[in-house]
Amino acid sequence: MTYVLDVPQIFDERSFDQFAAGYAGSSGETRVLVDAHATEWASPTGLLGLLCAGQALVARCGHKPLFTAPAEREVAHYWARAGFFSHAADLFEIHGSVPRVRPNPERNVLLEVTPVTVADDVHTVVGRIQERSAAILTSELGLDPKATMGFGMALSESCQNIVEHAGTGGWVAVQAYSWRNIGRRVVVIAVADAGVGFRQTLEATQARQYGERWGDAAALETAVIQGVSRFRDPGRGQGLAGIRRWLDRWHGKISIRSGTARIAIVPPWDKDEPLRDGLPHFPGAQVQLVVPEVERETQ
Amino acid sequence: MILEIDLREVLARSVGSPHGDLVTRSTGAKVRDSIEESLTGWTAAAPVVLDFSSVRVLDCSCADEVVAKLLLRHREGAGGEGWWLVIRGLTELHAEEIDLVLRRHRLALVAEEQGGRPRLLGEVDGGAAAAWQVLADRGGADDEDVAAELRLAPDEARGLLDGLVGAGVVRRAQGRYMPLTAA
Repeated sequence: MTYVLDVPQIFDERSFDQFAAGYAGSSGETRVLVDAHATEWASPTGLLGLLCAGQALVARCGHKPLFTAPAEREVAHYWARAGFFSHAADLFEIHGSVPRVRPNPERNVLLEVTPVTVADDVHTVVGRIQERSAAILTSELGLDPKATMGFGMALSESCQNIVEHAGTGGWVAVQAYSWRNIGRRVVVIAVADAGVGFRQTLEATQARQYGERWGDAAALETAVIQGVSRFRDPGRGQGLAGIRRWLDRWHGKISIRSGTARIAIVPPWDKDEPLRDGLPHFPGAQVQLVVPEVERETQ
Repeated sequence: MILEIDLREVLARSVGSPHGDLVTRSTGAKVRDSIEESLTGWTAAAPVVLDFSSVRVLDCSCADEVVAKLLLRHREGAGGEGWWLVIRGLTELHAEEIDLVLRRHRLALVAEEQGGRPRLLGEVDGGAAAAWQVLADRGGADDEDVAAELRLAPDEARGLLDGLVGAGVVRRAQGRYMPLTAA
């Protein structure tokens, strides 16, 4: 029997837990169909979440899960332009119509879905975003040119978490679109992997002092709020702190989901919860950075 | 004699990157190795200037490997003698990253930013920073001058200045304290 893992109609950070619950329910199943036929929109975090699920299912089941592409032509085309299908083909047996469209950076897709496995990949990602997208970030989102350099830094540090800690490859994608609540455009960086997650990364050095409180939420707090890394070197663990400083300056938001917990540094324009625990388990770590367009009257 | 090291050139040589992006910890380690190779046999008591003016993106991890670890290793290996390190051509954002990584290691150095005056980055307490500023303004001074300028007891001024020597941002020469600069 095939287990059907439904992809939410609108698949973004808010509906991620719904997808994760479906994924957690597939435990023990060997034949899984990831069904996106009714999906109308996916954020970069949603697209990378699908790839993470595929990666984890291949590792668990030993073969590719099935995947049904979105039925809506425009949705499938957008996913193709965003580079999703290029990588999904390695992880899924895809059914449905897949447009033959080359991944293409454009006004919305600032960086197509790009694999990150080694440090050289991080160089490639930072180089591409600086060359292609600095003008868009400045002209359309009103970001200060200084912010675009910080953008490269934040992108680099986010991707390095995969290289240094995930124990597997991951992906990064950058898109710009209108954010539902604030009526402004935002740039969204999504970085995700289906690796070991924050808890396992920090367990050997941190679990003991937490005792029974140790878990995914404690691991996220330790890394994001306290800037602790698994290395004793005091120079380590600064990457996330650097991202937070940059986001703070540009009123941005960071959220990280790992295992069964999710942490967010929430700016005044958003009403997210700072820390959630006891969520449906999802492998690895999924990072989302959101930088809003500068308000015109403050420019 | 000054040894100037253009970090973009070092980056191209050590990792073959055509961009001026000093990113990732492993790249930082390779760049530092390459700098250390250039410094092999360099025994002159003279400034070594790391020039960041063609660096585009600098992240914390790379800054830690290139700047903080270079300083740490030099101090461990040379006891603070010989060359001293000054950095030049920083943007505001580069300076911020370097300042933070130096603070994590309780280190300090002199930076000459684009279009700006030399300044200290890293961990230096307020009194010592004021003493360094007196030296920077005057191009060097003795402990009595600094004590008078800052209205301190001579012993206190000397303590601050010796602390700056220990931190590797001031040198003592012929009874005077000289701020380390690229000049």
